[in-house]
Amino acid sequence: MKRKSTLSAGLFALLAVFFLVSSAMAADFPARPFEFIAPGGAGGGWDTTARLSAKVLGDTGIITQPMPVINKPGGGGGVGLAYMQKKKADPYSLIVYSPPLLLINLTGQTKLSYRDLTPLAMLINDFGAFAVPKDSPYQTIGDVMEALKKDPKAVKTGGNSSFGSMDHIQFLQAAKAAGVKDIREIPYIAFQEGPMAALMGGHIDLLSTGMAETVGPLEAGEIRVLALTAPQRVDAGVLGQVPTLKEAGIDTTFINWRGIFAAPGVGADEKVYLTEALRKMSETPEWDEVCLKNGWTKAFMESEAFAAFLEKTNEEYKDLLTEIGLFKAQ
Amino acid sequence: MELIQNLLLGFSVVLTPLNLIWMVAGSILGTILGMLPGLGPTTGIALLLPLTFTMEPATALITMCAVYYGAMFGGSRSSILLNVPGDGAAVAACFDGYPMAQNGRAEAALAISAIASFIGGLIATVAFVIVAIPVARFALRFGPPEYFMLMIFALSATAAISKEALFKGFISLLVGLMISTVGIDYQTGVLRFTFGLMELQTGIDFVVVIIGVYGLGEVFKNLENIASGGGLQAIQKKFGRIWITLDDWRRSIIPILRETPVGFLVGVLPGAGATIAALMAYNNEKQLSKEPERFGTGTIEGLAAPEAANNACSVGALIPMMTLGVPGSGTTAVMLGALMILGLQPGPLLFQQHADVAWAVIASMFLGNVACAFINIPLAGLLVRVLAVPPKVLYPVIVALAFVGVYTINFSVVEFVLLILFGLVGYGMKKYKVPTAPLILAVVVGSSMEQNFRMALMLADGDFGVFFRNGICWTLFFLAIGSIAWPFLSSRIKLPWNRS
Repeated sequence: MKRKSTLSAGLFALLAVFFLVSSAMAADFPARPFEFIAPGGAGGGWDTTARLSAKVLGDTGIITQPMPVINKPGGGGGVGLAYMQKKKADPYSLIVYSPPLLLINLTGQTKLSYRDLTPLAMLINDFGAFAVPKDSPYQTIGDVMEALKKDPKAVKTGGNSSFGSMDHIQFLQAAKAAGVKDIREIPYIAFQEGPMAALMGGHIDLLSTGMAETVGPLEAGEIRVLALTAPQRVDAGVLGQVPTLKEAGIDTTFINWRGIFAAPGVGADEKVYLTEALRKMSETPEWDEVCLKNGWTKAFMESEAFAAFLEKTNEEYKDLLTEIGLFKAQ
Repeated sequence: MELIQNLLLGFSVVLTPLNLIWMVAGSILGTILGMLPGLGPTTGIALLLPLTFTMEPATALITMCAVYYGAMFGGSRSSILLNVPGDGAAVAACFDGYPMAQNGRAEAALAISAIASFIGGLIATVAFVIVAIPVARFALRFGPPEYFMLMIFALSATAAISKEALFKGFISLLVGLMISTVGIDYQTGVLRFTFGLMELQTGIDFVVVIIGVYGLGEVFKNLENIASGGGLQAIQKKFGRIWITLDDWRRSIIPILRETPVGFLVGVLPGAGATIAALMAYNNEKQLSKEPERFGTGTIEGLAAPEAANNACSVGALIPMMTLGVPGSGTTAVMLGALMILGLQPGPLLFQQHADVAWAVIASMFLGNVACAFINIPLAGLLVRVLAVPPKVLYPVIVALAFVGVYTINFSVVEFVLLILFGLVGYGMKKYKVPTAPLILAVVVGSSMEQNFRMALMLADGDFGVFFRNGICWTLFFLAIGSIAWPFLSSRIKLPWNRS
């Protein structure tokens, strides 16, 4: 009997401690685990970004709550966007996005847009590359544009994603800036797999793709990269010898940005907390190493500036998509 | 001999305790992931990614490759025992593997599938060593028109597989092609047949179709007699050794040797995959056989051929990635990404700058295939006991497994509705004896075939002559014609290589 009461007293004390701790925590954010959504499949760009930022946030102790990554693939990112709408005002759901977030709305794949999320921070930039086969007659991106000005059907371009998606838009943007008139007429062949093999086999004339994809074939001399869409030269490896569009006299850049968003309607304090956490993360040497290994350019931008950037970029994409007849007003 | 030296260098890297442990661990993980419907090598490697960042490049690559071919070994386990294919590559293992298990020959079926996979993988690895570079160069000549013709050949051969059911075969093919049109159209960005559902924008995943048509379809069909007492009887109660008889071996060895090169070559092509390899191998063997009517009733060579081919295919698929830096499949694309993070750039220079890593991977494939065979045979002895479970217990488990499997594809419940729908389709097809293989292959290649057709025309400014632009196209065209005519001709021509 005696023993039992000691036990229950002990239990009571323990409960009291728990209660105190948990009520103290409630004032503090974050108080429970996050979920980090990758709106694409495992192994893709969104998934990698989500996994690595969750890892750095945890490893450096910036956020001590667990951050498991959950994949919500489908609809080119639209499924993830719809999922976030169910988490309205919940600061414990984060999601990573890049330009397709804007494109899927502009082309009418989803009615939801970047306005239905709370931008927290832009983290990194990646850039596009325009490559030709090694024996291509085109020596510079200028040659390509000249050929297109004479006949917009002269160069068969290709990319790894569908018509009106990132690979397509980044080339159209360059062509438009170079003064090609009928950009709608430029043939764009959308590959589901193997666009690099198609370029190396000479089946297409020009491949519009991500910078990283070109490194191997370029080092091996299988292809030539005519231009990058970066604002200035990248400093590493073989790509350091490739001119930017600007250097080639085409005044434009295309940024494949990646950033972190929270659900719509998240409170101001939580928003500030999360943005600051991401800022701290982007200043760690651990994050530097992640960026170096993946070939990403560090490009931190806090939430207000990021929101303004999104608005401006959205307008640019809208103009391009209108020109090729893909824009669908929501 | 430079080649021998290189291989010895490779073996010297692999034969360290750490690399051996990871190779075996990768093989086991791959086998298990391959067995579970819906999960495959791509998921396995993606999940391994964070772990590989801390490894040496050679170790990481050895582990990922082991997961890849381990999954090819494991994929057919559930095809044979439960009629639920683990992935597309294991569909062909249902055709004769499942009937074999139903006839009480599950041990032989599981054994031959491991043996055929082993031989296929081993020969393909030897081929990798000898012909990797020229073969990869040849694969680059495949552009949209060539892929289109290849898919036409694969589809017509599958649809024409039985001359009695030629008409039903083509119906099945057309239904499959219709299913493959769902989703966003790559060339125009237009949404087709998505009914406003975002989940359908990327199309209907073929894994849902195969799990529905085979797994759930089989359960539905068996529900007919489960009430009449059939549900209490186990299929098999006593189990023998997991091995094959001398006669089994004699029947299987030629098909294995014949279809390994087919699988290997299909694997090297960046735009074709293991499903095509396995179904092509099955078709070839049925057409070449003296007794094609035995195919589909549980004949061992009908299981051995596709098993050898799909494993050879997974080895072949590594060639474009390793030698050219071009991913040949979804799985190798993920591997390519991982390598770049590790600071290795796959491509022709890999063999010059990191010869130790490149040759270690090749050496590990020899040892890994042996490891997989050793893992799979005792494992099969365990798995085969699932047949001792009475259907009334087993079927609910299969249904649960099917639902979990499709959920892992997109983590969405839309797949549940599709799964039930395709289960009913599968039931109907079984009931009216409509062949299912053409439907599956059409779902797998349909979208790609359509896109390649339109891509080819765009590249040629609308000139249909592009489909006959070279010898590859013509060869594939005649093979397609021949595959439809062959079932009608074969009964009149004596084949010298068929044993009497």
